[in-house]
Amino acid sequence: MSPRPCTAPALAEPPIADLHLPAHSSYLAFARLFVRRAASACGLDEGRSHELEYAFNEAVTNAIRHGRPDARGQIRLSALWQGDRLTLAVHDSGTFVASLPGGAARDPAEGGRGLALMATFADEVEVSNEPGATTVRVSKLRR
Amino acid sequence: MSAFYFISDETTSEDVVVLAMGGEIDFAASPQLRDRLFGHIKSGRRRLVLDLSDATFIDSTAIGVVVGALTRLREAGGGTLAVVCPDGDEHVAVRYPETNTVGNRVRQVFVITGLDAGVRLCRSREEALLECAVAA
Repeated sequence: MSPRPCTAPALAEPPIADLHLPAHSSYLAFARLFVRRAASACGLDEGRSHELEYAFNEAVTNAIRHGRPDARGQIRLSALWQGDRLTLAVHDSGTFVASLPGGAARDPAEGGRGLALMATFADEVEVSNEPGATTVRVSKLRR
Repeated sequence: MSAFYFISDETTSEDVVVLAMGGEIDFAASPQLRDRLFGHIKSGRRRLVLDLSDATFIDSTAIGVVVGALTRLREAGGGTLAVVCPDGDEHVAVRYPETNTVGNRVRQVFVITGLDAGVRLCRSREEALLECAVAA
């Protein structure tokens, strides 16, 4: 018996959204709105949505402060929904600077809490770094 | 679209500076907080209230400004910085389904970063002014 022909449609690509933003602090509110919209579309509850928004705001702030925008002066944000996980990523053209003197949220210095706060509020934080291309991803599970 | 925030300050008859900042205090807004807070300390004020009752968001750069203010007060011989973060106000609170508790998002950041030990974290402006009066 020959196998039945597959009639199912090809697997759809995971839902994804992209946003290019000028690398300036006045656009951080857009980045936070981007998270809220993605979280709402994916069914994250309000508490998880806010925690992801907080973590991602720190990631985008770091990209604006320490990263390098593309030739148009922009950084790229993306949202990816896979299974029960929503992942937000910020991509810039620089080399990652963690800016964490001690790596702890409770460090007495003025700066350096961003990454620790990201780790506190996100379920996972991932930094991909190669010369001239940095991506920071923060993700949250829908539970 | 810029983040919405506002900032205002006044000095009481007891020479306590009350700086109120509301809205979203992110990297776009924290330089204004830095200018005001550090400016008051530089001009000799040693008792300050930062009223965040209407703040809905505070990021790590604003937390860094508060740490910087504490450092400057210490270097100037000491002083009091009282921060007002009420609990459970509808528009700044978040309910956590797992524990069925309500927490103020701004207050939560102060606690996570350990700043609740460095500043006087108060639930009302009255309580903060009392802290400053006791410290006089």
